[in-house]
Amino acid sequence: MKKQLIIRGVPFLGTLRFPALWRSFCCCSSSSSSFAIKNVTKSNFDSSLYDLRFHVRDADFVAIDLEMTGITSAPWRDSFEFDRFDIRYLKVKDSAEKFAVVQFGVCPFRWDTQKQSFVAHPHNFYIFPRQEITGDIAPHEFLCQTASIDFLAKYQFDFNMCIREGYYCYVPGSIVRIYTIFYKKRPAISLTGFTSRQLRLIQWVIRNHFKDLLYVRASGHTSSPRHIIMYVESGKDRDLQLKEVKDCTKKDAETKIKAAIGFRHIIDLLSSEQKLIVGHNCFLDIAHIYKKFIGPLPSTSREYASSIQKYFPRILDTKVLLNANNFFQLILKKSSTSLSRAFALLCPHIASGVNTSELADKRRVKVEVQVDEKRSLNWNSGAKHEAGYDAFMTGCVFAQACSLLDIDFNNNLPAVHLASHDKLQKYINLLYLSWTNGDIIDLRTGESSAVSVGFNILKSRVEKVSFSNIVLLWGFPSQLKLSEIRECFSKAFGSNSVTSIHSVDQTAVFIQFNKAELVSHFLELKETLEQSNDPVLVLHPLAKILEGGCTRAADYEVYREICSSPISKVLFADQAEAVGINGKTKLPETVSVSNAEKQEEDAMRVPSDNGVQPDTADETAMDKLNTEELDSFCPLEAQLSK
Amino acid sequence: MLQRRLLCTKVAKPTTVQENAKPGLSKWGVKQVKKSNFAAAVEEIRTHITNSDYVAISLQKTGAYSSPWQKVLPFDTADTAYLKAKYAAERFQILQFALCPVSVDSSKLIAHPYNFHLFPRDEFKIGMPSYSFLCQSSYLTSMVQGGFDFNACIYDGISYLSRAQESAMKDRTGNSLPFSNAIQSPSPLAPTVADSIFVGRIKSRVTHWITACRDSKKTAEDALLSSLRKLVSGSELYGSRPCLSIDVCSDRQVKLVLEMLIDFDEVVPLLVPAKGGGTQAIRVVLTSSQEDKHIFKKELQNMEEEHSKRARGFREVIELLSTSQKPIVAHNSLNEFAFIHSKFLAQLPSTVDEFRHSLHLVFPHVYDINHLMEEIGCLRKGNDLPQDLLYLKRRFSGPIHMEIPQGAEQCEISSHGLDVLRISQIFAKLSSILKVGSYSLEADRSSFIRECYANIFNSHSASSEDPSVEDVKVWTKNSRRISSSNLVFLWGFQSGISASRLKSLLEGSHDVFTKEFDIRLVDRNCAIVIFWTSGFPERFLDVMTSGGISSESLKEMISEGVRAAGYSSYKRVCQWGLWEDNLADALDKSLEKTGELSEPDSNEDLPLVCWNNDAINLDDL
Repeated sequence: MKKQLIIRGVPFLGTLRFPALWRSFCCCSSSSSSFAIKNVTKSNFDSSLYDLRFHVRDADFVAIDLEMTGITSAPWRDSFEFDRFDIRYLKVKDSAEKFAVVQFGVCPFRWDTQKQSFVAHPHNFYIFPRQEITGDIAPHEFLCQTASIDFLAKYQFDFNMCIREGYYCYVPGSIVRIYTIFYKKRPAISLTGFTSRQLRLIQWVIRNHFKDLLYVRASGHTSSPRHIIMYVESGKDRDLQLKEVKDCTKKDAETKIKAAIGFRHIIDLLSSEQKLIVGHNCFLDIAHIYKKFIGPLPSTSREYASSIQKYFPRILDTKVLLNANNFFQLILKKSSTSLSRAFALLCPHIASGVNTSELADKRRVKVEVQVDEKRSLNWNSGAKHEAGYDAFMTGCVFAQACSLLDIDFNNNLPAVHLASHDKLQKYINLLYLSWTNGDIIDLRTGESSAVSVGFNILKSRVEKVSFSNIVLLWGFPSQLKLSEIRECFSKAFGSNSVTSIHSVDQTAVFIQFNKAELVSHFLELKETLEQSNDPVLVLHPLAKILEGGCTRAADYEVYREICSSPISKVLFADQAEAVGINGKTKLPETVSVSNAEKQEEDAMRVPSDNGVQPDTADETAMDKLNTEELDSFCPLEAQLSK
Repeated sequence: MLQRRLLCTKVAKPTTVQENAKPGLSKWGVKQVKKSNFAAAVEEIRTHITNSDYVAISLQKTGAYSSPWQKVLPFDTADTAYLKAKYAAERFQILQFALCPVSVDSSKLIAHPYNFHLFPRDEFKIGMPSYSFLCQSSYLTSMVQGGFDFNACIYDGISYLSRAQESAMKDRTGNSLPFSNAIQSPSPLAPTVADSIFVGRIKSRVTHWITACRDSKKTAEDALLSSLRKLVSGSELYGSRPCLSIDVCSDRQVKLVLEMLIDFDEVVPLLVPAKGGGTQAIRVVLTSSQEDKHIFKKELQNMEEEHSKRARGFREVIELLSTSQKPIVAHNSLNEFAFIHSKFLAQLPSTVDEFRHSLHLVFPHVYDINHLMEEIGCLRKGNDLPQDLLYLKRRFSGPIHMEIPQGAEQCEISSHGLDVLRISQIFAKLSSILKVGSYSLEADRSSFIRECYANIFNSHSASSEDPSVEDVKVWTKNSRRISSSNLVFLWGFQSGISASRLKSLLEGSHDVFTKEFDIRLVDRNCAIVIFWTSGFPERFLDVMTSGGISSESLKEMISEGVRAAGYSSYKRVCQWGLWEDNLADALDKSLEKTGELSEPDSNEDLPLVCWNNDAINLDDL
């Protein structure tokens, strides 16, 4: 059985094993057809890769999407309003380093001039990191975020398939270790069901009493090691056999490595062909690709950006595209730019197989899906949050968006031209570093991009954040509310001293002062209060915060240090302690490097365009409440359901 | 719907399996419990546990240790072993919890094996029981090859909350839980004017509201009027009863309102918790009579019970085990109970003594197969349960019959969690050998097993599930107890060098290496040197730090970057949680940190460790 068609989200159909029967069923259905997506696992990897190579080579653009085992390794690693640009990168880096990719969706799109439609080849790769290949002594580990796993389960993700059949994920830089592999052109017996002690005995007996037998331990592709006794003719033959077994092992290991870097072939192909890569809110996806297939992630966003540009010089984020253009905002009725929503609104003819009206139809881009021999113009596998299908949706959204931008596919081919089309230039290589904040990174520079294009929505929420005015406070008494903390500070430093206060998690808060001096002022005061034994100090307004003696405070640079640590404790206070920021107070050191940067950052703040004061901003935002903003309240879902 | 129901083999008759049969246990089946059949299974197992003589347990986890030196090794003391187990238990996750209540009937064991599938699903959207967990890919691969169904586990696994988490949740969730004891304590502060104004205002509001409610019941109003009335009085409905929310802004106000409400006979106050903790409002529910009030309180109680039952999830079973006070049998008890403590009780304490104490309160009788096996003089290598069974069978005669009565209920039976049956059997055998148990039912059950074997954590035992354990090391019988001060860690040598090569390099390089010493590799980059002569380790460490080396070869080694540290550095590595991939890096960090602290290396009393000659032999890696 070469192909197993598993139709997800269509419970009553279950597992279909007869494509013929399925096809006949397809013929009867007039609306959207839904043959299964091309799932690629270990068993069909080689053949699939072979085909995919050609598709990628011919493609005008390639849409991608990844499914991971998690997004944030701790609640405080979520994206916050008070995260500086560099910190946002650190948070994405942490995510890509800790979690595993379990599905990789690749969907090449090619414009067929004759048919006047795109031809898409959605592929859904199951991926699982395998130790037997990399042979590291240290076991390969990855983190799972419970909520993400649950989310995948909600969309019927097949974990068994992934773990059993998932293709190797090559971990760069790992040492290859050789295991003996079975080899038998000779009469041999396989030993199973023995205990390890018995096996050792057998081994001993064979070695000492049978010159013409050879004990071989063979490791199969998937199975646990097999123990084989093989017949050899003489001592010479024995040595020969041993050598052969070893050679074979080596060869086998080599093919395994080749296979292991197999998936990298696709990455290499995308890279060498300089294809336009299209993703939806894909910064994290690209970071994962970099970490898993290229190398360790650099420590700064600037280095990362320049490095990623070498591999993928053209990346387009459909989420950026849709949000940046007022025209699309109109079509999407200013609602969510989540992938499935955008797909449903921009490509209703594909999404639901319903042709709205003839007039509107003219600008509808046709997309023909090809899976093996099966073709369809209104394919819908119905499996959202399956990487392959998500990649397909992303590609369709992009194609439709191009058409709406009056890009003529007929004139602009071959592929490179599409990517360098004037109308796409202002969107290319711009990615959301953090969707929640609307923060965009320009990959060409690695800098934050406050872009000329009309990024209009949600900007009202971006207030003045002055990082040098921020103090980080953690470990305070747990029952203290934000308002109470604010009150303490107001009493101590004046009623307007605190511009805003923001919760990191239940153990930590950011406090933004109206003046940078107040940061050091506060830290010094805190230290004096802590060192003094004067009983009168109990009456000091800050005493309430310092109660318990575990309260720590530090300036913004310490926050960066904490974020860059590979440790991830669930609570921020525990994290700070684990990172080793234990001193009662961390006094701000004169930071040599980032001073200039800081000013730069401060200067780059986008002013709130409707003049909303910070205090009332929340209410205004609430008025505008739409799905997207709801998303941002539960960032995990937002990220996942992009 | 990918859920598989292929394994629903129903066995009508009880399966009796002789111990003498194959150790493969192929005929035995274990009941698989998931979310869907959990409630029924708990009821079943409750009686089985009550009737049992002991309960065997075995866990299936998502991983064991991150690098070779982080597993519990022969030279670990109870402290370091615990810290290693703690580190693993805090990061990995339990996916299956197999348990088997066994009752002994003359020479027959009656076993009721269950295998619970767990998944730490966040049922209440509160980030509990576990925000994230670590997986070891080799572990998962070998599990799936053994037929483990991850889909079933993740889709239909039972969730849980630990004791600590449950009480934390009660404080945090927005469920209006009935108020219990705060009323009793009198307010410590004398009432102020503001207080009495506040109370007066609320009192009149409540009185007014109650009258309004009573009135509206008498006269039938039209819908508009009644809704207007509701709007004005701020009245809502709680279930079928009218209720009123009183906003409060401090704990003091809460107290005042509650005190005031005592005067009203027919109302029940409920606390509405605020998001960040504390109380946001008090919901006053009006009941129609005293009788109705009791009914309402009962309802609330049931609701709470139901809620906490749902929150507890699988922990229900742990509580059953705990309250039954039955002896619990496990292998690798330290690892297993570190997991159990961290997932179902509370966060693991920082020292092994606290852990023992905390665990003892919940599980007073814990038996470790590994330890008992050592008692009978079986020096075990690895944790091969079938092998143990075979060994016992060969060395000690007297068959033990095991019977697994099968209920008629629809329950998936499969071979997952078979280890628990092996443990049951091994324990039965061992207890008969060690005469720790009496198989006659007349005997007092409480003395079923002599206390002396209980609660000993076998500190030097590796995890059995680890697929990478290679059973190629030869066990030698000279296990000696030596002080851990005789041990010196050595690293910085050429990676991948063999222990014998290293030994020959050291031999004769200094006085301390002229007498008997041993060397073993801990991992690729770190070795442990065992000096059989006391005083030599200190001398060696002195030489390594102060220089003054006579021998060229040792000098050369030091110049190449070889470093050494005593056992206390290793202890610090574990205490400070310097869990680097290589022990060498961890030791480096430990020395660095010690230097920073510049604490005088006080003469700690280094405990004895059991030195087995097998140590950890990574020569063949």
